[in-house]
Amino acid sequence: MDTKVKDCKELLNEVVEAGLCALCGACAGGCPYLVSYKGRIVLLDNCTQSEGQCYEYCPRTHTDMDAISQRVFGVPYSEDEVGTTKEVLMARSTDARIKERAQYGGTVTALLSLALAEGLLDSAILTKTADDKTPSALVAQSAEEVLQCAGSNYMACSTLETYNRLPKDNNRSLGIVAMPCQVLAISKMKKDPPQNRPTIDNIKLVIGLFCTWALSPDGFHQFLREKLDLAQVTKFDIPPPPANKFDAYTPSGIISFPLDEVRRFTMATCAYCLDMTAEFADISVGSVEGIEGWNTVIVRTEAGARLIEMAKAKGKLETANLPPQNLAHLKEAALLKKKRALNEIVKRSGDKNDLLYVGLSHRLANKLLA
Amino acid sequence: MASIDIDATGTNQLLIGNEAIARGALEAGIGFAAAYPGTPSSEIVGSLAPIAKKMGIYAEWSVNEKVAMEAAAGASFAGIRAIACMKQNGINVVSDFLANLVMTGIGRGGLVLVSCDDPSAISSTNEQDTRPIAKWLDIPLVEPGDFQEAKDMTKWLFDLAEKTGTICMLRSVTRIAHARGNVKLGELPKKEQKAYFDQIHDLRNVMPTTFMPIPSPLRHAFLHLKLDRALEEFESSPFNRYVGPDKADLLIITSGSCWLYSQDAVKALKLEDKVGILKLGTLWPLPERLVEKHLNKSQKILFIEHIDPFIERSVMEMAANLPAASARPAFYGKRSGHVNAYGELNPDLVIKAIASIMELTYQPRDIEYGKKAEDSAKSYVPERSLTFCAGCPHRATFWAIKNALKLDGRSGFVTGDIGCYSMALGPAGFFQLRTLHCMGAGTGVASGLGRLGQFGFKQPVLAVVGDSTFYHATIPALINGIYNQSDFILVILDNGATAMTGFQPHPGTGTTAMGESAKVVSMEDLCRSLGARVEVCDPFDLTGTTATLLEMMAEGGGAKVAVMRRECELVRGRKEKTPYKVHVDADECIGEACGCDRLCTRIFLCPGLIWDKTTGKSKIDEVICTGCGVCADICPQGAIIKEAA
Repeated sequence: MDTKVKDCKELLNEVVEAGLCALCGACAGGCPYLVSYKGRIVLLDNCTQSEGQCYEYCPRTHTDMDAISQRVFGVPYSEDEVGTTKEVLMARSTDARIKERAQYGGTVTALLSLALAEGLLDSAILTKTADDKTPSALVAQSAEEVLQCAGSNYMACSTLETYNRLPKDNNRSLGIVAMPCQVLAISKMKKDPPQNRPTIDNIKLVIGLFCTWALSPDGFHQFLREKLDLAQVTKFDIPPPPANKFDAYTPSGIISFPLDEVRRFTMATCAYCLDMTAEFADISVGSVEGIEGWNTVIVRTEAGARLIEMAKAKGKLETANLPPQNLAHLKEAALLKKKRALNEIVKRSGDKNDLLYVGLSHRLANKLLA
Repeated sequence: MASIDIDATGTNQLLIGNEAIARGALEAGIGFAAAYPGTPSSEIVGSLAPIAKKMGIYAEWSVNEKVAMEAAAGASFAGIRAIACMKQNGINVVSDFLANLVMTGIGRGGLVLVSCDDPSAISSTNEQDTRPIAKWLDIPLVEPGDFQEAKDMTKWLFDLAEKTGTICMLRSVTRIAHARGNVKLGELPKKEQKAYFDQIHDLRNVMPTTFMPIPSPLRHAFLHLKLDRALEEFESSPFNRYVGPDKADLLIITSGSCWLYSQDAVKALKLEDKVGILKLGTLWPLPERLVEKHLNKSQKILFIEHIDPFIERSVMEMAANLPAASARPAFYGKRSGHVNAYGELNPDLVIKAIASIMELTYQPRDIEYGKKAEDSAKSYVPERSLTFCAGCPHRATFWAIKNALKLDGRSGFVTGDIGCYSMALGPAGFFQLRTLHCMGAGTGVASGLGRLGQFGFKQPVLAVVGDSTFYHATIPALINGIYNQSDFILVILDNGATAMTGFQPHPGTGTTAMGESAKVVSMEDLCRSLGARVEVCDPFDLTGTTATLLEMMAEGGGAKVAVMRRECELVRGRKEKTPYKVHVDADECIGEACGCDRLCTRIFLCPGLIWDKTTGKSKIDEVICTGCGVCADICPQGAIIKEAA
């Protein structure tokens, strides 16, 4: 893929119709032409821009990893399996209400509630699961709203479309919880700030979520609708290996599906994604293998570190060292994702020197492909 | 509009052709006038309806042309002179009834059918010559060549209809219907009329008329006798006349407004002493003796008539029967390619035909001058394609339809119908309309498409129809779709008027042609009673309308109805003040930049919005803007501001 910024038709051609769209929403909502609807990016009318911001910020068009890392961390792209880190630890919320609703340790909910309460953020863009279990973005302004967004449904959601639709002239500081692909799109925006869209500098905190793959909202939701009374479901979970299942929690007990049945609905693009730990976030959060009720937390930036410190000091967050074998496992899994994705990319492009959207140094690329 | 009821016998009044026809009907003492509006016919009943009460007659906008004709026939059966008027398409709608009416004959009241053709289809979806129906169904046919004749012929046709006992037809064209000229008025009858349906067979005309149980072939034979009687009248009719030398180098046979073009052309070429013009006013049955007499005047015959070679073919058929010894003239016209068998004619085209036959060169004006004049005239015309009015609810409806179909993503499409919204074939409606035929056809076509599931057809189908068209011809197709479980959505664009033809009332409006109030025939109640799910949307609520259409498409399962209810802006604007004051905040407008790419003046295309090339910003044309405020809702940058006016 060449490095030129192109038009929206090329975005549809090279990304959407090519099955590479992650449905992050970065291309949508910033103009009247591109919108997302039921798991699809739709071009409503013909646009004549030859260099569209839709194309520019897409995490599946050319992405210069070194330049982005330079902008976010002040250093070139890290060769570490989990990216640039300040600290890797375990954490969990101290709030019983949060812990009850949270997917694992409630760290994200605790951090955001604190940031809103302390006025560090005016609002945060989160993903909420509706009663019918469809995901949608929510601009949360209170701890209560943050709590409503706790938990995951594993489906992709075009959260960045909601970000693009925010009033462009407001100076309100903003937090965002995002998947690795979305964190990448935000980082591309940080590197080359958008025009006629919200000021990217307003985003003061990016919390990235670990991700191995996400499910297509349209296909998977239809699958769920056919199998479950979705209004009854209180929580979804994919327990760590070797469980190999997808659990839906209902008042009458847990209903499990073999993970393979669920993985049929994985977004095609996830096979080409190198990033498991949202490497350009301020803080990245995931589960801890084998230790229930805790999160793995990777602190990457100053801003991230300050918030974690404040949360600890204010008693909102309980932390502990991540056991070395867990860190090793995490790195192993993250590296495996990179290698797999890069090999898939080369398989697709048919050329070791054509890594599609991935702008990595030759040295690192060859190391990963080896 | 001129007052056609003025009681001033012998005075000249400036009337458009349609008013002249209406005046002729009044002078003939009609009691009943019915029509479905359609350009260029609408002003006939349009001018009779407002004076109907005063003149002691009845006028109505019927639900469609067939009903108009049937209603008028009903009046004739009860002894009341009646007229039914329509545009060319109406003749197709009415043809089934006509084909039977000619067999039964009319009642004691003269019955006249007026058909206004639209050469070049200026206000039509098709270009159609309706004269052939006269030949096809054995109907006496006349065509006025000017405004005086439009009145005089109409009046005379009622006498002819009563004399022959059959319906008579007057064919007009746009340039007679809508052009204006002096008409010398005749007397208005003063007698009172009494309607009575006489059940005793009327044998006045020797030929059995209306209601005798006689086999059709016999009726058909009688019809031909009626036609013979009309022919006798036609052979000596003053509506046929010849102007020109006794022996001519060229004889033009013409009718209608083409008579005027022929006179202009001969004059412009200064050929008055070389070219003769036989102007026919009575076209069918062809006055053969008269024509034969004039055929001897020249060896070259040119036919100038609008649309089809109707007179041309009739004369050629006749010529085939001429005695073997007689000289055979050469025929020029549509068959020979000297005159187009499509599009409107004009003096220039007639000049071209004459010049070509007579091997003359004629340059009406300097080419350079012509081009300059054209450029100069064009410079005053705003650059704009055929579009909906500013503030038109249809623009909003098609915006919602376009977005809903795109979002739905199954390549859904719109089948269309006749009305202002036919313009959705083009940029006005974002090219959404994919089929366009006759009144009601969009729904019938949709009804078929919606049954193709067994062949793998998954595309959503939306049939759009106007409110007046809904009552006119859509209801049977909707019933068909509902009963046969066809999967489509009928979208009724209810703007509360027959807008395209001049805001005539229809059964959904609550008023009649004569201005009386009537109980509304509710389209949503009617559709619900048929068993369809019905949703009523305000098209100006773009988000809500789009969501409703999306949800209805996703639901599938049989025919549904979505009513888009918003009054025609031209009707609303006459009653109320502008709802919003709209302006563009130039600081916020990003024009052609990424993030807008001037959506409002490139895609939305309301004529109330102007693209200012010099500033690179959009602005409001305050003269044209009607303050509907819809553009404020589509502007992605919030640069278009609407404030309550």
